[in-house]
Amino acid sequence: MTAADLPPAGASSDVRDSPMQGIWPPTPAMLAEPVDPELSRAQARRLRKAWQSPRGWRHLSAVNNSHVGKWYGMTALAFMLAAGVLALMMRVQLAVPENEFLYADRFNQFFTMHGSAMMFLFAVPMFEAIGILLLPAMLGTRDMPFPRLSAYGYWCFLIGGVFVLGSVLFDAAPSSGWFMYPPLATEGEGIGADIWLLGLSFIEVASIAAAVELIVGVIKCRPPGMRINLMPLYAWYVLVVGGMILFAFPPLIAGDYLFELQRSLDWPFFDPERGGDPLLWQHLFWIFGHPEVYIIFLPSIAVAAMVVPTAARVPITGYSWIVLSAVGTGFLSFGLWVHHMFATGLPALSLGFFSAASEAVAIPTGVQIFAFIATLMVGRVRMILPLLWITGAVAIFTAGGLTGVMVALAPFDWQVHDTYFIVAHLHYTLFGGMVFPVIGGVYYFFPVIMKKALSERLGRWSFWLSFIGFNICFLPMHLTGLLGMPRRIYTYPGDLGWNTLNLVSTLGAFVLAAGILVFVWDLIRPKGHQPHTTRNPWDAGTLEWTHDVPEEVWGVRSIPYIRSRYPLWDQPDLLSRMDAGRFYLPDAPEGERETLITSAVDAVPQHVARLPGPGWSPLIAAVFTGGAFILPTFKMHLPAVISGCLAIAAIIWWLWTATARIPEKPAKDVGLGLRLPTYVSGPKASGWWAVFITMLGDATGFASLVFGVFFYWTARPDFPPPDASHAHLASSMGAAALFLASWAATRIARGLNASGSVAAARGLLLAAPILALGGCIGLVAAVWLPGLAPVSHAYPAMMWALVVWTVAHVLCGVIMQGYCLARSLAERMTPHHDADLWNTTLFWHFLIATCLVSSAMIALVPRVL
Amino acid sequence: MRNRHESLWYMIFAPGVWAVHFVAVYGWAAVICAKGAPFALARGGIAVLTIIALGLILWHGVLAWRQWDFLDDGDHVHDRPTTNDRREFLGHAGLLLAIVAFVGVVFVSLPALLIGNCR
Repeated sequence: MTAADLPPAGASSDVRDSPMQGIWPPTPAMLAEPVDPELSRAQARRLRKAWQSPRGWRHLSAVNNSHVGKWYGMTALAFMLAAGVLALMMRVQLAVPENEFLYADRFNQFFTMHGSAMMFLFAVPMFEAIGILLLPAMLGTRDMPFPRLSAYGYWCFLIGGVFVLGSVLFDAAPSSGWFMYPPLATEGEGIGADIWLLGLSFIEVASIAAAVELIVGVIKCRPPGMRINLMPLYAWYVLVVGGMILFAFPPLIAGDYLFELQRSLDWPFFDPERGGDPLLWQHLFWIFGHPEVYIIFLPSIAVAAMVVPTAARVPITGYSWIVLSAVGTGFLSFGLWVHHMFATGLPALSLGFFSAASEAVAIPTGVQIFAFIATLMVGRVRMILPLLWITGAVAIFTAGGLTGVMVALAPFDWQVHDTYFIVAHLHYTLFGGMVFPVIGGVYYFFPVIMKKALSERLGRWSFWLSFIGFNICFLPMHLTGLLGMPRRIYTYPGDLGWNTLNLVSTLGAFVLAAGILVFVWDLIRPKGHQPHTTRNPWDAGTLEWTHDVPEEVWGVRSIPYIRSRYPLWDQPDLLSRMDAGRFYLPDAPEGERETLITSAVDAVPQHVARLPGPGWSPLIAAVFTGGAFILPTFKMHLPAVISGCLAIAAIIWWLWTATARIPEKPAKDVGLGLRLPTYVSGPKASGWWAVFITMLGDATGFASLVFGVFFYWTARPDFPPPDASHAHLASSMGAAALFLASWAATRIARGLNASGSVAAARGLLLAAPILALGGCIGLVAAVWLPGLAPVSHAYPAMMWALVVWTVAHVLCGVIMQGYCLARSLAERMTPHHDADLWNTTLFWHFLIATCLVSSAMIALVPRVL
Repeated sequence: MRNRHESLWYMIFAPGVWAVHFVAVYGWAAVICAKGAPFALARGGIAVLTIIALGLILWHGVLAWRQWDFLDDGDHVHDRPTTNDRREFLGHAGLLLAIVAFVGVVFVSLPALLIGNCR
């Protein structure tokens, strides 16, 4: 950096710490300088070639966000339609009393699959689809930071979804309700519950993958200059929701883990006769289940936050207030879970905490609705079709929110618990909070996604049919519920005063279905003859409307320098300069797919990330991961283990060939006089952040198991049983010492490797896995030697569960240590190119905490409880 | 060492305090009630936790208010591409979150005033 290029006084530490060379920020004169058209065309050719999608059947190996996002969205839509058909059949069954259209067990399967599919196969994946599809466009970046991870997540979702939903065709679907309460679900015959547990755990992998992808995308892939106060509101919501997924899904995965251990090995976690407690499952399920509702709601309302300013033709009113609302809702939503358990007999004081928090969450939720209304009031509103859907959504959601405030009061909840009042409430919140805004968003964003417009006329028909049908269907259910009709009954006698209301609801359901079908037809009808839309048909201000028409797969021609929340409104030359390749990374001379990584707060350029192109490894890894989850359902344990090993092999092959590749030169010119490194490791690298975020989620899962131990201790007088034998103290402590040694060896190896002592680092990386395996033996011995029998009581079962969880994680850590050793031996990891070792060390930081807590939980804590 | 206003973590400090307070209050009440300890102990513990939480949130709110620096220039939009706007934005959002967290902590501790036993 020359003296003239030094950052100005008062520049943020991002600029001071950055390894960049050259000029930052760009001067107006540099930005105004025209690009030679011949050069620009040659650059565009090279860029197009680098981003070219595979054709024919090889298209399945594509990993680009615009392909994966479309597959994701259409798959989620298909699952939604299937789950909707189940709902219609239930409405037919309930249309008249004493009906025999569906028999009881099939009805049970249908309501279970309707809820499970709408939540796990439609609502959450639809968020992931929209995020993957649109976030890079809104951030003016080329792709998500980990394209192959997106593809892997998608294939997991598809395989798991077909497996879970397909079971309904074989009369084998789960039938205990979407929350799978024990003892009904633990004692249930057949494989339904296993399909639910294993299939949906598998899909949760996809959700966590998407969360990692989206968080890193928002934090590290913003265009240069887009400081945190300029970020599109959609990105704020995605950031919050990604964080929520990390803390909401792992408790459910931990719950699934315990549940499946009970189903397949008879470890009695939820069996009160042997020291278990079914309420533990309810806690773990709803710690996931309630934030889940907001995980669905926030990204959909985020779509509204993009539509409203465009329709009002003014910037959003109260940007900081909406950020408050998103972040505040994200936090408060974790304090609500027990309001699903008001009728379980917990102390009134505990109910009070959750009731109070359930009321408090109305504050941030209300703030964002008021911010939208304020924006519409100060703007010059055009009633464009997407806004029609958004206003319908706000009306429905507000009604659902008000009944939510009612049921948040425990005494009222006791009256309507498990009645149709709740069914009405939850559908009002989910249709208003998710379905309507998402359909509005599809109408709004369709030109970006497909370069064609949807039909205005069909859109209005669809809206009014859906809106009217929805209210005819669900408004009477409030009354049906208050008249005492319980949920989940397959039929009812004719003399209770429910007949007319049910018939009306059924008629409404079909009107609603007609509205949705009009929308689906509009979406999928052939549009070959239809002309392309203009680039910015709504005259919006955000970056996704710089998209290319007709489509170019490169994302953006050049990555812009951003100085406004609504750059298309405020930076008049932005579009022409982007198109000319005036901004960053306008070329792909090496034929590599590249994007810019910028700093978290001020979006100062940090380095050039090389992204992997199309590849089969994500698909193959997903197929074998699917085998590992699905085969145990049919008690095929050996094939499942083999499939799991093949999945690990596929993932290693994927990492080995496509990640942390050593570039041909340490830095490259990215345009506008700036030169950035092409390889970074440690906290500057997006991969390091991905490991950090994943491990945060993993730590939450482990914390849920630890919570389980303390839950039993408070809820059960016999935990641990007075005469129980405890885990072997010396073995546990020996295991802890070996784990510590392995962790230290890994950490020291990183330092030695970086300082050039490669041979010593390799030696430590050889010793570390041996130490860790020794620790595993010690930990298993600690529960094996004293003869803790997991089937006898929940206490030994819980100790074993902690050990199995820890050992499985240590085995991952061992594979990672071995991987680093192999990379070093293959010269793919060098003193300067050590991202693998940084990430492995970070994994081990989390792992050593798990190991130490686990050792203490089995050997020390029970002795003092 | 980074400046306070260059980090996102401070923005979520106040709701973080709310979350820790919530878990602590819930856990404390659950243990007291499950183990049959006197109810006054539950109330006392909740009072102490609540005072600590409110104090932390208040302290943080004051820092966020100073960072927002509203009285200096009256800016509440923060949409310019400057370090100053970014700093004030994070202060503004931090203050609003501190207010919500404060209300949240008060709400969550109210049941301990209104409910007098473990039933």
